[in-house]
Amino acid sequence: MGFLDSIFGGKSKLSGPAPDRLFAMTTAQVHLETALGLKHRQTAGIVFQALGTADFSAIMAEAEQLLRGTAEETGTLLHSSDDEFGYRWLVLEDPDFEDLVVSLNTVSSELQDGGYGDRLLACVFAFEERDDRAQPAEPAASPKGRTVYLIYNFKRGAFYPFVPAGEKSRDTERELRLKAQIGSELPIEADTARWFPLWEIPL
Amino acid sequence: MGFTMFLLGLLYVGLVVALLAAGTGAALMLVIVGALSLSQLFLSDKLALSAMGAKEVSPEEAPGLHAMIDRLCIQADLPKPRIAVADTDVPNAFALGRSQKKATVCATTGIMRILTPQELEGVMAHELAHVKNRDVLIMTIASFFASVAAMIMQFGFFFGGGHSDDDDNPSFLVVLLVSAVVYVISYFLMLTLSRYREFSADRGAALVTGRPSALSAALMKISGAMQQVPTQDLREAERMNAFFIIPASVKGSLKSLFATHPPMEKRIERLSELEAQLQRPAVGA
Repeated sequence: MGFLDSIFGGKSKLSGPAPDRLFAMTTAQVHLETALGLKHRQTAGIVFQALGTADFSAIMAEAEQLLRGTAEETGTLLHSSDDEFGYRWLVLEDPDFEDLVVSLNTVSSELQDGGYGDRLLACVFAFEERDDRAQPAEPAASPKGRTVYLIYNFKRGAFYPFVPAGEKSRDTERELRLKAQIGSELPIEADTARWFPLWEIPL
Repeated sequence: MGFTMFLLGLLYVGLVVALLAAGTGAALMLVIVGALSLSQLFLSDKLALSAMGAKEVSPEEAPGLHAMIDRLCIQADLPKPRIAVADTDVPNAFALGRSQKKATVCATTGIMRILTPQELEGVMAHELAHVKNRDVLIMTIASFFASVAAMIMQFGFFFGGGHSDDDDNPSFLVVLLVSAVVYVISYFLMLTLSRYREFSADRGAALVTGRPSALSAALMKISGAMQQVPTQDLREAERMNAFFIIPASVKGSLKSLFATHPPMEKRIERLSELEAQLQRPAVGA
């Protein structure tokens, strides 16, 4: 099939999500906090393409309703926003990290069951890095410490680190170090050409 | 589509047989053209970029374009290509590079000015679809034998005349004849192939963005704007046509036969079919 695909101009379908490895994050989080001192920011997000179709809207409404239903027990807060590139973010807030992962999984499985798994882009987890050993050369970090993101790429079924360092630049050194630190806990994207930045993450 | 490929294949087999029959001179030519094609494959992206006056841009220089393509790459499951911008009013975009890892996508400042972000996204997704489908590589391979044939024809016209008094080498005439036929036919078949690949890039773009109508809008806008920009720019841009999202100018009454791209109305028609498909519920479809 592959050869014919390449002759006839590619697959006629968008590739769907890879086998789900999202839950690897729950165990990795423990390691991040205890061994590396990275505390989760009690928030996580999922980003996808919101299609302008009635069917898609109905499935999204259903997913949100489901989340709000469970939110009453877990206390998860939920808000959504559209970014300037036309992608929708659902941002969840919960002090319990496992609840965050479960809620993200609810959204992604709702979309997949509805036949829109190929629209899922990524899940984003935010961690706070306290600058204990702040390098003097670095411009003064915010007093809260900076945010380190772990991004889960649905198409690849793998995570990668994203450490923004100011306006549209990233701290690649820190990202590579993070990869070495958590590589044994998380399936990390091997190809650094696919460590796509996501600017202006709303969490 | 299948028939086009079949005909191309048949032609090439015929050509190779004729070449082998003709002996060493022709085989040498095959090697030379092979080397030329290879170097074209490896150098064409740089040449084309400089021909267009395009410069690679960093994320700092073009943050919006980079962020847009980052997201499209995640969605299309592609490694990040290099991104270039050409400073010209001609509203166009093209993709270059022999492999997914070595790809470059380029947009002109003109196209970024006239399109909305959603429309531009459709256009860049179309170029990324070319990268994903390895269209540059495939068209280079497909044009390989056409180049061989073209070279033999030229060779024959330049040097063949001097030998007309010794007629004990009829095989060369046969090769020349075969080459001429191969060249003419493969030229048209390649254009057909190119048009098919444009359709599939449109389709790929629509799938990746989920917005077929935004691409339609972009195509309409670009083709409208194409008639307004100065003609000198158009002629300068013309040799780049095969790589463009919309060719710079369309001329002649046989245009559909000679065109590298399918007619605009057909492309928009297919995109609106996709939009209709998308509006139907996904499950059970």
